[in-house]
Amino acid sequence: MSGFLQATVYGLLQGGLLALVAVGFSLVWGVMNVVNLAHGGFVILGAYVGWEMHEWFGLDPFLGMFVSAAVLFVFGYVLQRFLINLVINGPIFITLLLTFGLDLMIVQGMNLVFSADYRSIKTSYASNSLAFGSVRVPLGRLLAFALAVAITVLLVAVVNRTRTGLSILATGMDRGAARLMGIRARHVYALTFGIAAGLAGMAGAMIGTVGTFNPSAAASFTLMSFVVAVLGGLGNMYGALVGGLVIGLVQAWGGQYLPGTWVNALAFLVLIVVLIFRPTGLVGRAFYAARQEV
Amino acid sequence: MSTLTKMPQQGLISTLRGDRAKRLGPWALGLVALLAALGLQGQLYSGQERTVATIFMFVALAQAWNLIGGFAGYASFGQVVFFGVGGYFTAVAMSHWHFSFWMSLLLSGFVAALFAVIIGIPLLRLKGHYFAIATLGVAEGMREVVTNLTDLTGGGAGITVPTVGNNATTAYLGNDGFYLLFLGLAVLSVIVGGLVARNKFGYALRAINQDEDAAAALGINTTRMKVLTFALSGFITGLVGASYAFQQVTIFPERLFDVDITVLMIIMVVIGGSGTVLGPLLGAVALQFLSEFLRQNFTNLHTFILGAIIIVAVVLLPQGAVNYMREARRTKEFSLLANVRKYRL
Repeated sequence: MSGFLQATVYGLLQGGLLALVAVGFSLVWGVMNVVNLAHGGFVILGAYVGWEMHEWFGLDPFLGMFVSAAVLFVFGYVLQRFLINLVINGPIFITLLLTFGLDLMIVQGMNLVFSADYRSIKTSYASNSLAFGSVRVPLGRLLAFALAVAITVLLVAVVNRTRTGLSILATGMDRGAARLMGIRARHVYALTFGIAAGLAGMAGAMIGTVGTFNPSAAASFTLMSFVVAVLGGLGNMYGALVGGLVIGLVQAWGGQYLPGTWVNALAFLVLIVVLIFRPTGLVGRAFYAARQEV
Repeated sequence: MSTLTKMPQQGLISTLRGDRAKRLGPWALGLVALLAALGLQGQLYSGQERTVATIFMFVALAQAWNLIGGFAGYASFGQVVFFGVGGYFTAVAMSHWHFSFWMSLLLSGFVAALFAVIIGIPLLRLKGHYFAIATLGVAEGMREVVTNLTDLTGGGAGITVPTVGNNATTAYLGNDGFYLLFLGLAVLSVIVGGLVARNKFGYALRAINQDEDAAAALGINTTRMKVLTFALSGFITGLVGASYAFQQVTIFPERLFDVDITVLMIIMVVIGGSGTVLGPLLGAVALQFLSEFLRQNFTNLHTFILGAIIIVAVVLLPQGAVNYMREARRTKEFSLLANVRKYRL
């Protein structure tokens, strides 16, 4: 029983982090219909920025993550504005390939600069743990979880309540109409992509604090973003949060009770089952799942 | 023909069916290319022979992807699953069940095709990114399944096909043999592509690509067409995977279900020109050649440069080289900058 409780707590904590990883991915997919294969690369890049900040300036990773977010935001904005916007109206595999090319460059670039060694941002407190009865909760993970959930909720509020956020939503619903209303679609797309990259970078810095990372971990974060975004569904900003928590739990329980590495297949099983039986996701809107490619 | 030539709509009919020379020209060119490939073999030393065999392998893979992704427009992002299923079926059949390679090869094709039908029926109802991601999920999931079926597949430690001694069911083909085998698969895939392109089947697929509802309204059984195409594409990919497994002798799940292989197929098709027969052929040869050149000359930077090339190619020629040339010849508009404007926001 205590094993189950421990797994549940761990799953929820991990799920919160996954939600922050995937929320930007889901936003970009929903608004621009771009599946960003470089998303995992952004996450790891953010982890390295956080690592550098800690290494050179002694900046605490929970402050350094804001630097990661800023760097990645600028990077993402420029990428979308001057590169991805060039092919945004093409068939879907064009954007898939473009972002895959980006991913190759980012991951290989990180390999060249930082080497393939595993790293971790070390702090004095992150591995201390609190004990609640028989359940132990590492402090770093708890902090990361709380921040991840808070930032996701903040993003939802910004998108749903500010003019900028509403212009992002409007552009996602009907770009032509949005442009007629005076919304600068190029800027809005770049902004959306920048926000997504920034949040990925922030999540990366947290991941670097609670565990280890190296450049080739990027692919698994891209895949997890897929799974979380699909499971949660597009068109509802809380989708990534719901999807992340569910996947976190499923993986933690799977790891506890399944033999071998069967747990790795579990996430994909969930993905396929959701796609077949409920393509709108758990809380998504049908509009996005039924949308034809433009 | 004799009665038709006298009729006034002769012009129309000949455009529809194509002149005999126009119809047979590409096949003749293909024959010349085949003879050249056979002649080339004698000129290569064995390392080069292996490199060229890999180019043939990717020609076959790109052609197979083009059937489902190019003609039908369903971006299968998990195509490598058929490669892996074919490869693992052959490895298991040869080492556990003592089948000969040729028997395993053929069966691998059918097993991969059957697998395509099983996953195709539910997944081909999805569209666009959802189909892409679902197939990717199948491929990644299958890799984990194969990794965990350790008794049958050896798991992460890999499985070795017996090639020497009493357990060897078929003698190892060697570089010469594999050159011919992969050339044969490339030829098969190009022939299949060529037949589909000129056939009613191919027109049905293009109709599905352009507007699936309209295609259904025209009386095309879209589900059956899509599943058949997926199976055909899976069949060829399975054959290639089986041959690859025998060539490598020892295979591992990470390599046989490597998502990079899928992406390479797609890039080759897209850069060459999707929905054409020449496009995937040119794309596979060009990209594999370039990749090998980069690997040998810029060992560390090779993936980085490859990424940059993919980006530039996708931005400048989003519709692929062959489609661009056809369009440019028709409209006399050769500017690449004008081409970039097409998909720009």
